[in-house]
Amino acid sequence: MRPLMLQGHERSITQIKYNREGDLLFSSSKDQKPNVWYSLNGERLGTYDGHQGAVWCLDVDWESRKLITGAGDMTTKIWDVEHGTVIASIPTKSSVRTSNFSFSGNQAAYSTDKAMGQNCELFIIDVRNADSSLAEQTPTLRIPMIESKITSMLWGPLDETIITGHDNGNIAIWDIRKGQKVVDSGSDHTGGINDMQLSKDGTMFVTASKDTTAKLFDSESLMCLKTYKTERPVNSAAISPILDHVVLGGGQDAMEVTTTSTKAGKFDSRFFHLIYEEEFARLKGHFGPINSLAFHPDGKSYASGGEDGFVRVQSFDTTYFENIFE
Amino acid sequence: MAKKKSEEHSGTDANDSDYNEEPNFEDPPNFVDNISDEDLLGDMIAQRPSEADGVESVVVVDNIPKVEPSRLDKLKSVINKLFSHCGDIVNVVYPVDEEGKTKGYAFMEYKHANQAEEAVNKLNNHRLDKNHTFAVNLFTDFQKYENIPEKWDPPTVQPFKVQNDLYNFINDPDAYDQYCVAAETAQSCVQVGFWQNTLPEPTELETRERFTDTFVKWSPLGTYVVTFHKPGVAIWGGSNFQKIQKFPHPGTQFVEFSPCENYLVTYGPTPTGQKIIIWDIRTGAEKRSFVADSMTMLSMFRWSHDDKFVARMGESSIHIYETPSFYLLDMKSIKIPGIRGFSWSPTDNVIAYWVEEQNQIPARVTLMEIPKKRETRNKNLFHVADCKLHWQKSGDYLCVKVDRYSKLKKDKKELDVKFLGMFYNFEIFHMREKEIPVDSVEIRELILAFAWEPIGNKFSIIHGEPNSSNVSFYEVNKGVKPSLVKKLEKKSCTHLFWSPRGQFIVMANLTMGTFEFVDTTNDYIISASPDHFRAGEVEWDPTGRYVVTGVSSWKVKEDTGFNMYTFQGRIIKRTILKNFVQFLWRPRPPTLLSEDKQKEIKKNLKKYYPVFEQKDRLRLTRASKELLEKRAQLRETFMEYRNKRIAEWKDQKSRRVMLRGHVDTDDLETDEVDEEIVEFLVKEEITVLE
Repeated sequence: MRPLMLQGHERSITQIKYNREGDLLFSSSKDQKPNVWYSLNGERLGTYDGHQGAVWCLDVDWESRKLITGAGDMTTKIWDVEHGTVIASIPTKSSVRTSNFSFSGNQAAYSTDKAMGQNCELFIIDVRNADSSLAEQTPTLRIPMIESKITSMLWGPLDETIITGHDNGNIAIWDIRKGQKVVDSGSDHTGGINDMQLSKDGTMFVTASKDTTAKLFDSESLMCLKTYKTERPVNSAAISPILDHVVLGGGQDAMEVTTTSTKAGKFDSRFFHLIYEEEFARLKGHFGPINSLAFHPDGKSYASGGEDGFVRVQSFDTTYFENIFE
Repeated sequence: MAKKKSEEHSGTDANDSDYNEEPNFEDPPNFVDNISDEDLLGDMIAQRPSEADGVESVVVVDNIPKVEPSRLDKLKSVINKLFSHCGDIVNVVYPVDEEGKTKGYAFMEYKHANQAEEAVNKLNNHRLDKNHTFAVNLFTDFQKYENIPEKWDPPTVQPFKVQNDLYNFINDPDAYDQYCVAAETAQSCVQVGFWQNTLPEPTELETRERFTDTFVKWSPLGTYVVTFHKPGVAIWGGSNFQKIQKFPHPGTQFVEFSPCENYLVTYGPTPTGQKIIIWDIRTGAEKRSFVADSMTMLSMFRWSHDDKFVARMGESSIHIYETPSFYLLDMKSIKIPGIRGFSWSPTDNVIAYWVEEQNQIPARVTLMEIPKKRETRNKNLFHVADCKLHWQKSGDYLCVKVDRYSKLKKDKKELDVKFLGMFYNFEIFHMREKEIPVDSVEIRELILAFAWEPIGNKFSIIHGEPNSSNVSFYEVNKGVKPSLVKKLEKKSCTHLFWSPRGQFIVMANLTMGTFEFVDTTNDYIISASPDHFRAGEVEWDPTGRYVVTGVSSWKVKEDTGFNMYTFQGRIIKRTILKNFVQFLWRPRPPTLLSEDKQKEIKKNLKKYYPVFEQKDRLRLTRASKELLEKRAQLRETFMEYRNKRIAEWKDQKSRRVMLRGHVDTDDLETDEVDEEIVEFLVKEEITVLE
């Protein structure tokens, strides 16, 4: 089937996410305006106007009521999904790199960059009754990151923990009740973590790293379960909710793109078997590195957002489901 | 103490108490000396000068020219120049007869014995001129050989040591080929892996870290692999790639084996010029060395196919050296004024060379038999800008590519010559026919590449503009002009690579990394056209079954590695290897089967075919079975882990439900959206029927 091309962003895509039901697809881009699309037909539903810098991250809560975004304009914003209005805009001291709602949607976390003399910090806020006063409230928890900056972040399965992926390849779990690190992965990855995504049940997650691999970790013990190897930095990886598949996307740094022809096939989405670690399919399409990938919650399609500014939604053919590994 | 002793001694003597008088040191009359000198002053005796001192630093030089007294000084200076390279000479003696004529030998004394030894090593058998070859010996050796004992002790029998079998690589029952892969792991530190191309997956034979500084090279028959190091080169071979021989030539950049692997030529730059040394591979002895002014291809040594001769082009001459003596053939080089290039036939002792146009004398291509130096064929050519000699690998044909011009334009200075209206001729020499007839093919387009089919009678040319060129195939037959058999138009290839067994050819574009595989017996169908982005190398395996394309980190920094294809261009394996530099198939020696036997095998190929097919199939099924077992194992361990985690996850269900405000989102499927049909009244209209 032909993919849906979602054209609406003017600059490269930074993150894409489906809501829980999968009817909506949210995308953030360096062009300052996050978009929301109907995932079924690729029609754009609307934009969230208000940021004044590249939007690095976004997340939607499980009820699709609130959207949280973090941007280079040194704010993190909480939006009303339906109306596209800002509920709260929280100023920070440097760019916001990651932002996520917890499982319950009662709390949210965001992290800032190590820049302009500021340390990287992780903040946790209560968003149950979020309104514009949130900007003045002190966060419920602040954890300074001394060793290495956070480049990717996830909430643990039960609102109790936060998993952080770092610039130096480290992964750590923080208990937010104690406010301290409880598990450290050590050095499974040798390059920065670009992305982390949970499996459907949240018991494991897949990482995407600059060290050209993606790995599967247990989300409680941080035990490395599997490794998927490529030759390029991996920017994003996602686990299929229905099959034992993972999809990886990446490419080299945007700086070096001009030295590679699209023919060389380095901007493909690459499908690996979750257990056997074997690559079984590649999908061409983007003409720049893929920055973010997401499976539809029903597992029958997936979306990719690229440095080229396009979001592509690809439904799987029936052969994809028939191709059962022995 | 001694004094006291002497007093005691003196005490025995009568009335002797004058201290000023010399005491008596005489032994008493009945004294027996039972202490030997060695016990008493062993350390001093060891340092005692002996008669032999200085003799071991003397060498005897025989076979020097016998000269009149008037020319003695000249001789001395010549010999002194040679011998002073080995060290400081302190004394020279030239014995003369009654008339003052030298006797044909001389003595040299060096400052140190090791310098004398060096002189023996370096200058023994040195050829001063045609009639004088030095025999240099240590003076002490003469003594040694004079004192050879009369009685002869038979040597003890050495235990038998199994020699490393250099040819075990061709004993493989399935005739799998070997290859080596080199990767530069650090600066001047290349790791080399040796592999056997087995089915279904290649087998690693050996991997050596820091095997060579720069690159490796196989010998032409595949027996040795040569590595480059600061002190020189080394060759390796046998089952575990053991070191066979070292050749101490510091700074060697390049080596060339003789075709039968008897000799090795090493090339290394020195401040004074390119140093070239010819070595005997088996003994490791230096046979001869040269210093060339420049590192041009022209100064390269070229071997005859049977290792009997090696030739080098000089200014207006060819120097041909005979093996194993490495003296000039007939003691003189062959004068050929205006020679521009030469080449040996790959199968016969025939040299082809060409001479440029000079003063109204046309350019000429000549075939010459060696060692008779008989010219067997001459061909005059006009308006020649350049010639290239291409021998067909089986030596049946020689093709001379002639670049010709229709007009010659000379600048005023007469230094810059410009050729206008270039066109190209291919002169085909039929070597196996009587009188060696020559045919010519003219092409009025730019020639980009030329290649002979190694076995067979075809040649192929890329001609036209670089971006849209044509590939033409010509067939050469006895008694007729070469005929164009196929022209493939609008190609963008730059290089041609024939299979070593002929028939198949790869047309490559080595700037883009695109390849086309062509079967020349099947209407020149392009069976496949794979891409390997920026690949710059194509390597056929020696049997013509596989092709490898490589992206070397010498040229490209990204995505280095190699791809392996079948001879039809079907991809078999992609290997990405960081810092990959070289992929080389191990060459094979030519078959020992007679031609009849080969024909017979070809005829009965159908009989053998199923046997091998069966073998391959078995291996593949075994491999796929292994893979399935491996997967089953992986699945089992993973599912064990998963089941445990899923159970934990289920236990947490109540907490999850609570967190999301008593909504169970675990199994909420989007598929369960019900289609609802809503009907409502839009409009009511009453129409009265008449």
